[in-house]
Amino acid sequence: MDNIVTLRVSALESNYTLGHFGDGPNSDIIFREVKNLKLHQIAFWPETLESVETALGKSIGIPLIPEPNKSIIKKNIAIMRTEPLKIWTLGSNTPLFKANEATTLDLSHSRSRLQISGPKATKLLNSFLPIDLRERSFPPGTLASTVFHHVGVTLWHTKVGYELFLPRGFALSLWELLLDGAAQFGYDIT
Amino acid sequence: MTAQRLISGGRIDRNKIIKFSWDDCWMNGHPGDTLASALMANNEKVIGRSFKYHRPRGIMSAGVEESGAIVTIGEGAKRDANVKATTQELYHGLTAFGQNAWPSVRFDVGSLSNAFSQFLAAGFYYKTFMGLPPFEWGQGTGTWMLYEKLIRRAAGMGTSSREPDPDNYEHGHIFCDVLIVGSGPAGLSAAAKLSQTGLDVLIVEQDFEPGGDYLNQSTTSVKYSQLLENINNSDIRLMTRTTVFGLYDHGTAGLLERVTDHLSSPSAASPRQRFWTVRSKHIILATGALERNIAFGNNDLPGIMTAASATTYLNRFGILPGKKIIISTNNDSAYGVSIALANAGASVKLLDARTTLPSKLSHTAKGHGVDLKASAAALNASGSKSVSGLEIATLNEEAWVQGGSEDCDLVLISGGWSPIINLLSHRGSKPLWDDENCCFMPGSTDEHIEIAGAGIGIWELSKCEVSGEVAAAAAAKALGKTTTDVKKPSSNGWSEKIRPLYEVKIHGKGQKSFVDPQHDVTANDIKLAHQEGFISVEHLKRYTTLGMATDQGKMGNVIGIALMAEALDKNISSVGTTIFRPPYTPVSLGAFTGRNFNNHFRPLRRTPMDEWNISHNATLTDAGLWRRPWYFSRHNETIKEAYIRETTTTRNVVGLCDVTSLGKIAVQGPDATEFLNRIYTNPFAKLPIGKARYGIMLRDDGIVLDDGTTWRLAETDYFMTTTTANAARVMVWLEELLQLRWSDLKVHVTSVSEQWAGCAVAGPLSRDILKSSIETPNLASDENLPFMGVIETKLKNGVPCRIARISFSGEMASEIYVPSDYGPAMMDLLWETAEPLGGCLYGLEALGTMRIEKGHVTGAELDGRVTLEDAGLGKMASNKKDFIGNVLRKRPAMVDDYRPQLVGIFPKNRKEIFNAGAILCNEDNISGLGEGWITGVTYSPVFGHWIGIGFIAGGYKNWISRGAIAADPVRKGNIEVEIVSPHMYDPKGSRHHG
Repeated sequence: MDNIVTLRVSALESNYTLGHFGDGPNSDIIFREVKNLKLHQIAFWPETLESVETALGKSIGIPLIPEPNKSIIKKNIAIMRTEPLKIWTLGSNTPLFKANEATTLDLSHSRSRLQISGPKATKLLNSFLPIDLRERSFPPGTLASTVFHHVGVTLWHTKVGYELFLPRGFALSLWELLLDGAAQFGYDIT
Repeated sequence: MTAQRLISGGRIDRNKIIKFSWDDCWMNGHPGDTLASALMANNEKVIGRSFKYHRPRGIMSAGVEESGAIVTIGEGAKRDANVKATTQELYHGLTAFGQNAWPSVRFDVGSLSNAFSQFLAAGFYYKTFMGLPPFEWGQGTGTWMLYEKLIRRAAGMGTSSREPDPDNYEHGHIFCDVLIVGSGPAGLSAAAKLSQTGLDVLIVEQDFEPGGDYLNQSTTSVKYSQLLENINNSDIRLMTRTTVFGLYDHGTAGLLERVTDHLSSPSAASPRQRFWTVRSKHIILATGALERNIAFGNNDLPGIMTAASATTYLNRFGILPGKKIIISTNNDSAYGVSIALANAGASVKLLDARTTLPSKLSHTAKGHGVDLKASAAALNASGSKSVSGLEIATLNEEAWVQGGSEDCDLVLISGGWSPIINLLSHRGSKPLWDDENCCFMPGSTDEHIEIAGAGIGIWELSKCEVSGEVAAAAAAKALGKTTTDVKKPSSNGWSEKIRPLYEVKIHGKGQKSFVDPQHDVTANDIKLAHQEGFISVEHLKRYTTLGMATDQGKMGNVIGIALMAEALDKNISSVGTTIFRPPYTPVSLGAFTGRNFNNHFRPLRRTPMDEWNISHNATLTDAGLWRRPWYFSRHNETIKEAYIRETTTTRNVVGLCDVTSLGKIAVQGPDATEFLNRIYTNPFAKLPIGKARYGIMLRDDGIVLDDGTTWRLAETDYFMTTTTANAARVMVWLEELLQLRWSDLKVHVTSVSEQWAGCAVAGPLSRDILKSSIETPNLASDENLPFMGVIETKLKNGVPCRIARISFSGEMASEIYVPSDYGPAMMDLLWETAEPLGGCLYGLEALGTMRIEKGHVTGAELDGRVTLEDAGLGKMASNKKDFIGNVLRKRPAMVDDYRPQLVGIFPKNRKEIFNAGAILCNEDNISGLGEGWITGVTYSPVFGHWIGIGFIAGGYKNWISRGAIAADPVRKGNIEVEIVSPHMYDPKGSRHHG
């Protein structure tokens, strides 16, 4: 079967209804789930960082591993440095590495990717996340590993807004909390 | 008290009327009113009843220190008790009720208790514990049970609703450079000073309008307007209706924001209150000061309140609170009050306890018609439900003597001012007594905290402004910013020194003088506590309840401590004070809870097949945070009927079980094999690619940490499974080992629990199901997929999968894993094949039955006390390599033959049932902790009776000819049991080997 992607079922599927909701006509918050996530992890070692950068440059055109908790975006592909010795590649396949150079893992099904934007997005997120989201502390391109109702999540700030990577098993529960918190605003699910 | 709304003045919006209800009587107020000001404008005198004596109480202040006007707001589920009317913003439709009274606060049957007040002194209820003398002397507290309910009903404050709270609450996080607590002259001046620095400033104000003491002035101050404009034109954030209730480590503050408590019809989606956690780099406390009372006779009567609050009602709310007013003071601050009230048309008499009066102030007061009397103070108020007269005391050679009496309708008291040092006290800074100002001043602190304004005893408004700027400059400097220099205010204190005055009494004259009106603590109670030996201030507080509950020492502490000092013949500084603790003002329990209740009390972890399971009639249960299928009922089966059917079908045909919740960890890197060989007790060095191996890992102390299978997918790539319960613990353990002990190993570990959805296919037909479900059926043959074999292939629908032939049930079985989003598609495919063959879906209950029959351990057995040998897995310990826990597991106590070891348990009478949790005892000695315990029980379809698994000393061989008892005294009593091998079903493993 060629197009097995149609068999993928999102963790949010049972409670994801498009439309405008909440209090008021404004689109204070805009939610968008990026389905069919393509996410890979590359884990390396200090002495192999440069060779991994070289390989990334050849395979996806980004010849640089960003600083920890930073990201680089090129067209539809991004590299996010989630840990000192681990990066995520978003939207691309991973290059092949020798065993002593780096390890790779497909994590495409491990997270639900949720974009959150709009003028009240920061306020909503700070209802749950105990991190400093002020522009000076968390500018676009920054990411953080943080906790959301005791669950470890990854938050990424892009020019579009925020992106939450929620562990799949907890995603629906956390999504329900986000909707509860957003109900005091006007919000769109797109 | 004969209060009336003036025809002009105040900060209220007179063009709009707000209708509200007080004890079912509708009244009018205006936007900008508090409930207290609106009640006062309607000339309501009795607003509350006291805690113990049910004495009538009126409005005693204009702020959070209120001890009299404590009411209940709302009805039904929204009923909110113990709200201070002085802080409740008025809104249209507000319903308020008097509390702790029947039938109403105006006529309260409970006030009879006042007649017995001599029997209800401090600590009277402690004495009731001793029994009723003389009948119960030496016998304890038999009668306590009789009158406990009466005492509890008579005492107290409001009553909470018994219904679930219908409101939403929310948590939130704020970050800032400088947190300014209070928006009075000092706070606003500090903020304005910081507005030029580029620092991120947050001002928090508990009132609904910023300004603090600016709001109490007769005209709007130009400076106030300028400061607000300056702040509004900057990036400074100002939060009103928000209280900083506590300060914590490293600049962290707890805030309560009242989001909708002032709204008539709040949106159901809006949180009622928000609990904010603020993290700041520097804090400026501009919290002001509270005016104190003086203890004198009947000083709790309605119509007696603090002097400054009269200015608030006059200038902020446009109310003249009385017409014939007597003010009793010991300091300068009441002079301004007397002048303002006289200007508003009241007849004002000012009693100043000082012999020498401040010349300029007294001259001005007299010029405005204030009748001034030196060396005089309030002695005893008279009136039934409101004050109608006052006996006056005068000084005669430092002793108070009767000085006549006068009619009045309002008595105002100013016994000095207490800086609000609560927040600094939360940080462990010990308050220091200041004899000059007769108050506790903030102690020193090494933290990044500045204090400004009245909070450090600066009493003049203009000096408070300067003080705020000084604090701002210090904060800016600490954060690396420069500001223009500011000179500290020249001096603190009063123009004429305050006279220490805490109680006014005449020798030999009995009177009821309240120290802490909120708890009915009198001056006599303090003295009684001293007589009974409670001389420590901490003991005094607890014995008398001084300063407890919502008051938290705001009003009564200083007077109480002063009276104790007098009784001890010490000075106040040597008596000390209690330490203030959070919260400064009450915080709703709902705010602490936030959104974390009911379904979101904790996060729910769903498997990718959750909806699929529900649609196939699963009854679900919690397994840790996971939600898993418990059983799949058919035709209204009970749980027992369902799991027996599921077990029988799986053992005889085939069953499918969602096993996604097992922990899954990717172990990768050139040293992965060496790593696994060190953490598992059994060898992993030679595990071939395409094979799985069962492994046990120990803690350093030799106790079993966890078990599971690890699959070798490639030369340097392993897929480890753990128990559901220990997945996170194992992951943390592996990270710790790699980061701290073996940083030389080139290994990466990553949790992939969320990446893979798993299904166990168990039963004699499991291979048929596999063959029908994968693209290349031959891969599921016994040659290609033998016991403990691993393959990576695709399902028929093209979905990639990995399969291992492993068994938890004891039957021929495999576990299939697919990327999580494909979980439902996998289940559709497998069920499509299994259902026509007579297979079943099975849940956690059947899984438990089969593993108990088989003697497989789970988290119930691996409880942190069990060794390899205890679990019957001693052979899993390699003697050819070292591994974690290998040394300490050999300690003598760990290898004692008589340690409790894993066993199976049958009831001697096969018709009987016993429970998990029962203690296993020798039949001749049913006592104490017994010889072991039962960890799991089930009805076994294989054996046709109940069986159990557990531990008993020496293991089953030690009990072959000995009788044991499952002792369960609380639930089932004692059952005779037979101890058997833990491997109760198919001990040779012929079924799962196939």
